[in-house]
Amino acid sequence: MAAARRHKRMAASQPGFLPLKSNLDGDSFNKKLRKRVNKNKKKNWNKFSDIQDVEEFLDDVRLQERATGGLISERTDDSLFFVDIGEKDEKDKDTQPQTTEKGKRSKPLRIDLILQSNSHIPAPKNVLAFQQPNAKKQRRTLERVAKSAAKGILPRREKLLQLRRAAAASGVSAKERPEAKNNPNRAFYDLWCAGTPETADPYYLEQTKKKLVKRPDRLNEKPSVLPAIEVIAPGGSYNPDFFSHQDLLREAHEVEVKKIKVEEKLARRLAVKEDVATAESTFKEQVEGLIEEEEIEPEDPEVDTEDTVIGPTATQEKKTEKQRKKEKAERIKELQRKAERRVIDKRQQLFQLRSISANLKKQEQRTKMRQAQRKAKQEAQKSMPRRLGRLKFQTPELDVQLSGELASSLRSLKPEGSILKDRFLSLQKRNIIEPRERAKVKRKYKAKYSEKRAFREIQ
Amino acid sequence: MGGLQKKKYERGSATNYISRNKARKKLRLSLADFRRLCILKGIYPHEPKHKKKVNKGSTAPRTFYLLKDIRFLLHEPIVGKFREYKIFVRKLKKAYGKAEWSGVERLRENKPAYKLDHIIKERYPTFIDALRDVDDALSMCFLFSTFARSGKCHVQVIQLCRRLSVEWMNYIITSQSLRKVFLTIKGIYYQADVLGQTITWIVPYQFTHDHPTDVDYRVMATFTEFYTTLLGFVNFRLYQTLNLVYPPKLDGQGEFSFKSECEEDYALESESYSEKLSALSASLVRTVPSVDEEEVELDHFPVEGEDLEKMEAREKIELELNKQKKLFEGLKFFLNREVPRESLAFVIRCLGGQVSWDKSLCIGSTYDETDETITHHIVDRPSIDKQYINRYYIQPQWVYDCVNGKILLPVEDYFLGVTLPPHLSPFVEESEGDYVPPEKLKLMALQRGEKPQAAAAEEEEEDEEEEEEEDDEEEDDQSEGEDEAEDEENLAEMEAKRAQGKSLSVKVTPGKAKPENRMRAYQEEKAEEKRLAIMMMKKREKYLYDKIMFGKKRNVREANKLAAKRKAHDEAGKADKKKKKKKC
Repeated sequence: MAAARRHKRMAASQPGFLPLKSNLDGDSFNKKLRKRVNKNKKKNWNKFSDIQDVEEFLDDVRLQERATGGLISERTDDSLFFVDIGEKDEKDKDTQPQTTEKGKRSKPLRIDLILQSNSHIPAPKNVLAFQQPNAKKQRRTLERVAKSAAKGILPRREKLLQLRRAAAASGVSAKERPEAKNNPNRAFYDLWCAGTPETADPYYLEQTKKKLVKRPDRLNEKPSVLPAIEVIAPGGSYNPDFFSHQDLLREAHEVEVKKIKVEEKLARRLAVKEDVATAESTFKEQVEGLIEEEEIEPEDPEVDTEDTVIGPTATQEKKTEKQRKKEKAERIKELQRKAERRVIDKRQQLFQLRSISANLKKQEQRTKMRQAQRKAKQEAQKSMPRRLGRLKFQTPELDVQLSGELASSLRSLKPEGSILKDRFLSLQKRNIIEPRERAKVKRKYKAKYSEKRAFREIQ
Repeated sequence: MGGLQKKKYERGSATNYISRNKARKKLRLSLADFRRLCILKGIYPHEPKHKKKVNKGSTAPRTFYLLKDIRFLLHEPIVGKFREYKIFVRKLKKAYGKAEWSGVERLRENKPAYKLDHIIKERYPTFIDALRDVDDALSMCFLFSTFARSGKCHVQVIQLCRRLSVEWMNYIITSQSLRKVFLTIKGIYYQADVLGQTITWIVPYQFTHDHPTDVDYRVMATFTEFYTTLLGFVNFRLYQTLNLVYPPKLDGQGEFSFKSECEEDYALESESYSEKLSALSASLVRTVPSVDEEEVELDHFPVEGEDLEKMEAREKIELELNKQKKLFEGLKFFLNREVPRESLAFVIRCLGGQVSWDKSLCIGSTYDETDETITHHIVDRPSIDKQYINRYYIQPQWVYDCVNGKILLPVEDYFLGVTLPPHLSPFVEESEGDYVPPEKLKLMALQRGEKPQAAAAEEEEEDEEEEEEEDDEEEDDQSEGEDEAEDEENLAEMEAKRAQGKSLSVKVTPGKAKPENRMRAYQEEKAEEKRLAIMMMKKREKYLYDKIMFGKKRNVREANKLAAKRKAHDEAGKADKKKKKKKC
């Protein structure tokens, strides 16, 4: 606003300024009576200062700029006026027929003409649209690239591109995509061939992750001594020998019997006892205290009145000096006697040498036996499934076919059990994985069943 | 005095172990990834001796790992890949959610993948180490290769497993290292001797899968992932040792003959090739043209005493082995369509036989049923319409029993419709005094080269007579093993005759030292020595000795009891049969 005002004043003060509108006079200032207002508030500045003249002047300036492209007062005379010689018409005539010749097509539509801007002021540029973010940074990087290019160092992207081009030219795809492990046509190579031994410092290689950390030997021990494939007993043959088949059946039978025994035991323990409550017994129970109370009641007050003290009394009489001395002497005597006894016993042991040595021998034997037992147990442990998690390993049921189920020929053989499950359990048995069971689907809310009416109607 | 009070659970076993959850957190992995990592790296959980101490006073059952193991896992580069994969999945999910298909495609192209090669090398520093542990890998691969492509696991895994198992079978065939086969109600157990390592594996029967629900497929898939890599490298090395081309290529002539046949049945060239490979009927290309393998003879060193005996035993075993390798050489088999083709083809080819099948049954058949040179036709049905006179029609068990017995068994017991002798387990080794089933005894006698007829004739007099007519016909045709035996017998007879003639001509016989006497004297001497040794024993040793002997005797007694039972059982069975016959 202030700038505009200054502008106006400057313009007005200039001698050659021609206002377009004639009614712009200095008299209009004095027409209204000025109201006295405090101008110490910005709000009042706007409200009570008359800026009409400035506005009008500026409008005029804008109009001039729009129409002619600048203030007319600043124009040179040559650009405003020309000398009419009268020759121009001919030139126009020469040019006009050409346009008409071309036809109406070349003549712009009226609507376009209307829409065309007739202002001589170019539209303002959106500065933000032309501003580049990070321009400075980019400029710097460009400078750096240019510098390194001058030295002959290409940026990484360029280098990769060149490599790729070279590879494409030679017919090899540049980037070896990692091959899927389960690709059925994957290639293998000699993994154990002795390659060239590494000459570099092993520590360096390890630190730069070019060499893997050595696998501790402990990890190459197998967790169980059981063989990977346990061959089924001879009774499991598809056409078994009678007795080996019977052996296998017996084994399976014993397992089954054991299982049944356990179940029976459980059932026995959980069984409801014989004396089930009857109406009579329940009544008795309810009444129990009530009937007998009357008989007991007379006794009770007596007990209360009998003011007896239960437990020992704390008061103990003090010992006399004499008593104490006597006790001490006794104690000393006792100790002496014990010491003597010990000496005698030791002497006596001389005569017990045989029995002592026998004892020692027995003891030694026992320790040896226990050692052997412990060792045997440890050995047995090596082939036992361990407790590796929440669940215990359960020996699977033996796969058997009863005599009636045995196939008469290979063609009619019906395989028993599943090898997949066998393998899975074998891994568990050998302590390679912990025993697992299928995760149960847990419902948050109980399922609700309801019969639909249509269904009910049918029933 | 005094100092700081020792805190509980800050030293000793409490610090040596780490619970699974803590380990998981230390590695910054999800439980599934942690489990996978442990399987791949061969880190197993441990059961601490003092659980309550390790568990910091709690008695809740937990899974524990050794802290050092987990520290070792921290160095594994695969851990980073697992984390990358997690992020990949997250990004992919997001891209899907936003329906950014180009983003999905770009992500999929850059899917992170990891390799297990370095882990294999780390876990098995030498090839023999890997070979020792290949049992599991084989069983798993054979199992997965029979899975239906039903989405229980990736189809690619199944294909890879199939490829590897076929490669393995081809190797066993070429190296002729199969030793034992056992058909069971579960599957088929094979045992092979590869570079001095005894390797056992189990193969399921075809089309037997009902997928059990209580097996964690993710765990099994992880194991398979590891084992396929292992088996691939092992296969490569094994093929190298035999100078075979890897991946296996069929021999030129065989390939040519196949091409004409059923090319149009298989859409893909690669597919048909792998099928041909899995047919197991053709031999493989070698990098170095194969020279006829000369007999490798054992080195002889002048040795004495026990070593000599050992040497002899070893030589004997070697001889037996060579014999077993060439058991079916020169025999031509034809498989009827109801027998398990792959297993039989594998076993027959392992022992050097030729095998073929119906053209419509499977790709890769080499000759037709009408071929006159076929010696054995394997059938598993009660009767067959069209029979050729110059071949045996036998049941499949014969092949397997031959492998286990290491000799060509008499075919009569395995003819069509005959009740088969029991299929004994080759994995049982009876110690002295154990019960040995009579069938095994018979087999052992056969192996020693004794004539089976004598024993057999006694046992089944009447049954034999009916079959004898057929037998004679068949026997005329030829069977090499029997021919040899017969020759031997003839020779013995001739010698006996000669001896008789001599005794007739010469009346005075010169006195000769009896070799038997010397033997007997030697034996007596030995027995005496033993008795004396027993007498000289200390009391305690004597007690132990008596105990051992008693145990042995008890075993023998029990075995005898079982044998008697068996005899009674057999007789009862026979009596039943007779009754039935009479009724008929």
